[in-house]
Amino acid sequence: MQTSTGTLSKRRRIFWLVPLIALALPLLTNPYTQFIANAMLIYTLVTLGFSVVIGNLGQLAFANTAFFGIGAYASAIASTNLGLPWLATVPLAGLAGAFGGFLASAAALRGIRLYYLAIVTMAFGELMRWFYTHTGVLTGGTDGLPVSRERDFGLALTSDTVQFYVFLIITCLLVAGTVNLLRSRIGRAIIAVRENEIATASLGIPTSQIIVTAFMWSGFIVGIAGAMFALHTGRVFPESFGLTQLIVNFAMVLVGGLGSVAGAVLGAVALTALPEYVRAFPGMEEIFFGVIVMVVLLVMPKGLASLLARVSPIFQQRYHRD
Amino acid sequence: MKFKPKKLGLLVGLALAATGSAAADETTGLTDDSIKIGVMGPFSGNASSYSKAEIGLMAFYQMINDEGGINGRKIVAVQEDTGCDPAKALAAAKKLIHQDEVFMLHGNSCSGAAVAIKPEIVDAGLPWIVAHAVSDTISVPPVENIFHGVPTGNTNGEAMAAFVLSKPDTKKVAIVEHSNDWAHSYSNPARAYLKGHGIEPVAELVMERGQTDATAQVLKLRQANPDFIIGALYEAETAIFLRDMKKYGLDTPVMGTAGTDLENTLKRVGDLDTVKNYFVLHPYVDNLDGPLMKKWADMIHKYYPDEELTNFSYISIGSGVALVEALKAAGPDLTRSKVMAELDKIENLDTGILSSTITWSPEEHRGAKSSAVAGFVDGQPTVLKAWNTPY
Amino acid sequence: MFLQLTLSGVSQGAIYALIALSLTVVYRSTTIVSFGHGDFVMAGAFLTYVLVVAIGIAFLPASLIAIVAMFLLGVAFSRGLIGPIRGGPHVGLALMSISFGFTLRGIARTVWGREVLPMPRVFDIDPIFIGSVVITGDALFIISIVAVLLVVFFTVLHFTDIGKMVQAVYQSERGARLIGIDVERFHNFSWGLGAALGAVAGVLIAPISLLHPDLGASFLIKGFAAMTLGGFGSLAGAVLGGLLLGVAEQYSGAYIDTTLIDITAYLLIIAVLLIRPRGLFGRKVVVKV
Repeated sequence: MQTSTGTLSKRRRIFWLVPLIALALPLLTNPYTQFIANAMLIYTLVTLGFSVVIGNLGQLAFANTAFFGIGAYASAIASTNLGLPWLATVPLAGLAGAFGGFLASAAALRGIRLYYLAIVTMAFGELMRWFYTHTGVLTGGTDGLPVSRERDFGLALTSDTVQFYVFLIITCLLVAGTVNLLRSRIGRAIIAVRENEIATASLGIPTSQIIVTAFMWSGFIVGIAGAMFALHTGRVFPESFGLTQLIVNFAMVLVGGLGSVAGAVLGAVALTALPEYVRAFPGMEEIFFGVIVMVVLLVMPKGLASLLARVSPIFQQRYHRD
Repeated sequence: MKFKPKKLGLLVGLALAATGSAAADETTGLTDDSIKIGVMGPFSGNASSYSKAEIGLMAFYQMINDEGGINGRKIVAVQEDTGCDPAKALAAAKKLIHQDEVFMLHGNSCSGAAVAIKPEIVDAGLPWIVAHAVSDTISVPPVENIFHGVPTGNTNGEAMAAFVLSKPDTKKVAIVEHSNDWAHSYSNPARAYLKGHGIEPVAELVMERGQTDATAQVLKLRQANPDFIIGALYEAETAIFLRDMKKYGLDTPVMGTAGTDLENTLKRVGDLDTVKNYFVLHPYVDNLDGPLMKKWADMIHKYYPDEELTNFSYISIGSGVALVEALKAAGPDLTRSKVMAELDKIENLDTGILSSTITWSPEEHRGAKSSAVAGFVDGQPTVLKAWNTPY
Repeated sequence: MFLQLTLSGVSQGAIYALIALSLTVVYRSTTIVSFGHGDFVMAGAFLTYVLVVAIGIAFLPASLIAIVAMFLLGVAFSRGLIGPIRGGPHVGLALMSISFGFTLRGIARTVWGREVLPMPRVFDIDPIFIGSVVITGDALFIISIVAVLLVVFFTVLHFTDIGKMVQAVYQSERGARLIGIDVERFHNFSWGLGAALGAVAGVLIAPISLLHPDLGASFLIKGFAAMTLGGFGSLAGAVLGGLLLGVAEQYSGAYIDTTLIDITAYLLIIAVLLIRPRGLFGRKVVVKV
């Protein structure tokens, strides 16, 4: 068992081929497809962060959109009001998102679970949106808040291609970080909390700290994704962080495969691409989206990642219960 | 070891970025017999009632094509959905510019989406006629390639406030609106105009989208006892608000936006007594069911027989008329620069549909500078210039 | 003003109560919260509209047909879409109901997409004036229908054999199975009942508000807030929570600021969490580790 997982994790190095191949992508794109590819990277992080909480930690917490918005606004506010270059706002957005994660974890620590937690965290997200709308001095209110795309440290961030490489680096770092976190002692404790919280606590593992850590890490990466989104659209609006965004994020996690890193990537890529393919049928998007998600839930409950796992065992997630 | 590929990526990225993209082509999207025009609108989502504007514009294009096109070219419209969402609109704009390679853009409801895509379009340099979104920031300060073909927020807000003040002895004005950019684009200029005339609103209330009850708002208004109410509310909420005013016996006149119209509001509310004190911005030459508008209604119904017509249906057509003028004037050897130059020459153009003429110049790209008001006079929707003064 | 606000709040709150009750009916029997419930409400209203306006049936029979149709849709949803993934994680169940609701909304939008439809006035009862307080026909209609429904519902639940059976399943599904109750059928029935009650709310709200595909979305949140306030899973609590939410919205709007009306529900959810997580009538929902 030990050795086989050992060779498996060595073989997992093969995953570094994915970003390597992606390096060549801009050769094939026009600015439109590049823009969509950039969105895929952003949503990879959004999905991954969400998946850590609802997949790995197993908490039905819907504060993901809140983290996303907090990160985007932190970046835009730092850019507009403090005049910071965008790259400098990225860590701030991550920290702000992590703080959001901390607040959301407080609900879980109150002993709230399942749907009740879902509703409470959803309320958190909607209250944040109200805040963006009604504190115009800070957030620009409904007019939105621009993000400066001035040259950062020699990078021409106005270019979608440059954005792509910057996003690719950030995404790779955070995906690698998440994989390492999940494989660590903390990661195993996160899974243990999902499987049996009381038993985990009885082993002397501080479950509260584990829950807070998972939420904060989720908030951190989704917050950074928010900063990327702010740069990507050039202007942040409260409406971008509403319930529709939440539903889309949620679907990405499930379609990709709950609690799976590869699934998060697949889900984000698939559901970012989907609306672009159904552009030809305006107004039908909701139906397409709804039906596709229902079909995936019925015929492929473990998501797209389970297809990969069938092809090759290296896609098996060690920390995913089968 | 692990980070090597990324460094490599950075280098490749910088190298690619340095080469830059090709300069905008003057004749992209043209063939000998077609002009490709991108039409963006909110065809999905909760603001999709706006996309009636783009439907009206599409009908207008088809009419032009049926009449033989312009200088031998027919208009090929590529519709793209923005869902009224900035990120989606940005993707739509990039698709139209870089993938469909349209000659120009025309359309756009939703100010937020239009503001978000503006930098992209400024960079791309192709002509864009904004045919529904009203925010002044889209065309002020003027950019070479962006033209506003509808009365903008400032014009609208001032027209609303001016009408309110034209009622004798208007001293107290209240505002009730949604918390969104659409409502603010009307209410903020109206506030500024009122302030310029020494009037501060006696009450500023919010009624959010989706609310099915306006009791709290109406009771507060009853206490404030205004002479006139400015209401920047969507169709459904307007109807609910007016009903609740009637319910609680408040018969203060209400000044609404161009987002609603009298005919459909009456239909939604159900009785004339409830809407008799409701006024709307009315940017057209005639009542929606008046003789001068019939030709346009027939045109839309010819191509879209099932389309229910509202105020939105007609709003983009005026800028379509102006565009056709400019395309004709630019001659058969069309280029983007020529079209923009011809658009800049349009002066006092009577579009036969907008009550305001259209004038563009290099210094001013907000083409339509006035809007009328409509209200019920003797139970009939009537276009008005001022309080009790028919147009 | 206070009385008027209270009255209007109760009338709105009656709708919220009905939605919260329909959510709780599903939740108590299946342990699933239906995130697509707002769209059931919308679909009930739309069906009634189609029957009244397009086919020309009178309002009362039309609404009954719509409610029955929504019951069947609820059963079909439970059998066809929830049943197969019942054993799976709750996230999947939540997303299933969201997606189904999304699809309903999409259908409504492709058919009526760009219109805001008025429902023909049903009961033009003249408003009643008591002093300065106005009681409109709509309010009277809503409050009385909801009151009758609630009386019937709780009578059946507490004083009939069927009600006792339902309570037995609520207490222990395994126990119910042992004494020969078909729990799957009971689940399907509960989804049907939930959808039908949601449809009643839609039918009641339609003549007051106007019809558009996004009608249901805001009601779902109100239903959630009412459930939370009343105590998650408590039937009576859901009703009381709905009424309190309706009234709280009016007070906060009139006495504090109208921008608060829309977030009263969210503020209540957070306040309940901070002050009394189990709500007014909730059983213990808190996990202690």
